[in-house]
Amino acid sequence: MRSFGQRFSAIFFILLSLALLIFGRSQTQLIDQTRAHIFNAFIPAIVVVDIPRVATAGLSDWIKRVATVFSDNEFLREENAELKTQLVTSSELVIDNLRLKNLLKIKDGTVSTITASRIVSDSNSPFFKSMLINSGSNDGVAKGHAVVNEEGVVGRTINVASNSARVLLINDINSRIPVKLAKSGVNVILAGDNSLFPKINFMPTDEIAEVGDQILTSGMGGVFPPDLPVGHVNEITSLGEIKIRTSVNLNRLNYVSVIEYEIASFPILNTPDADTKNTTEPQAGQEE
Amino acid sequence: MNLSKTQEQSHGLKAVFPFLSILFLIVIMVLPYNIPVVGDIMPYLTLIGVYYWSVFKPEMLPVAAVFVLGFIQDVLLGSPVGLMSLMLIVVQQFVFIQGRQFLERDFIFNWVIFVMLVVGFGVVYWAITSLYYREILDYFDVFGQILLTIAFYPVITGLLGLVKKVYN
Repeated sequence: MRSFGQRFSAIFFILLSLALLIFGRSQTQLIDQTRAHIFNAFIPAIVVVDIPRVATAGLSDWIKRVATVFSDNEFLREENAELKTQLVTSSELVIDNLRLKNLLKIKDGTVSTITASRIVSDSNSPFFKSMLINSGSNDGVAKGHAVVNEEGVVGRTINVASNSARVLLINDINSRIPVKLAKSGVNVILAGDNSLFPKINFMPTDEIAEVGDQILTSGMGGVFPPDLPVGHVNEITSLGEIKIRTSVNLNRLNYVSVIEYEIASFPILNTPDADTKNTTEPQAGQEE
Repeated sequence: MNLSKTQEQSHGLKAVFPFLSILFLIVIMVLPYNIPVVGDIMPYLTLIGVYYWSVFKPEMLPVAAVFVLGFIQDVLLGSPVGLMSLMLIVVQQFVFIQGRQFLERDFIFNWVIFVMLVVGFGVVYWAITSLYYREILDYFDVFGQILLTIAFYPVITGLLGLVKKVYN
């Protein structure tokens, strides 16, 4: 009798797992929310268990920094001098760029940093590339926000709880990001394949990419602002597959920023109709 | 049935130790280690946990508990829900079908059986995930995971053995 009961419950839970596996594919809101609630509840436990690792890593980092303080200082002095000269040039370019954009009436989208977050959990799996961060809807994070660090694009948020969120990395097999080749401006798609070298899809046949070519976000799709560094062409295989080395070292992530990109409205053409529309709209808003 | 119930009741809070120990292993598996290459070949620690408790204290780890543990692992890992639950329940049933008396022998014998089990686990996990994504996924890292799981077996079972001592 006991054995029958056990077998029945085993069959029941096997079927339940299979059902979850099959029907969970559609990523229904209920499953998404359940997942969010569960990982949100586990974040404090993960943070506590992680304390010894963080402390050890912090100590080894400190020792490394102390050991290299003199050589680092010398290097930074040289870099600072170089950057100062570059700053003058880039300030001139910024002013030039603004002036030209004003002349062409180009409207840029707005990029706002929502929050800086710490990576608290990693999939550590060859098949799933995502991470949990310690910011959620309470900090203003929403599904589909871009996640970046100082080196470039990290990924985007796919599931958001109140105090945490899951970030799908750009090398995950489910990740597709609209990017462009910086040199030619050709729009392509960066597709993750779970390796550290995601590939380029939809490359026009008449376009040529070379090893070392820089890849930037194209801004299409509205998730990532344009011109963020994504990586550079690392290898072009014999089959013509273009492999990218990401700008961000995805194995060494500690802190990231969640950003929101708002696409600008289309430039208003200089026609009498558009001018009237432009002037009447704010007034309507004021009346409200 | 009555016997197992009384056993569980007599253990009181101790009855949840196997569940909590595997839960702890899940948390260990999802920490951000930031170690290149090694980060992708995390050993299947929960498999070791489920195998160990199914052999030595099966009444403390009911199939519902294995399901919940697998579900939590899927949620924390970001893998498709149901995948790890399915894998772990099948492993537990494999142990039950083999019979505890068969496996509850010396350490080396157990380890050898576990080696065969983990190879099968790794291959089936890869096959189901490939089927799920409808794409043949790279299996190179799976070998790394299998080898690391085998290497970690004595360490993890040693630690779980300390937990098991509370029942003596």
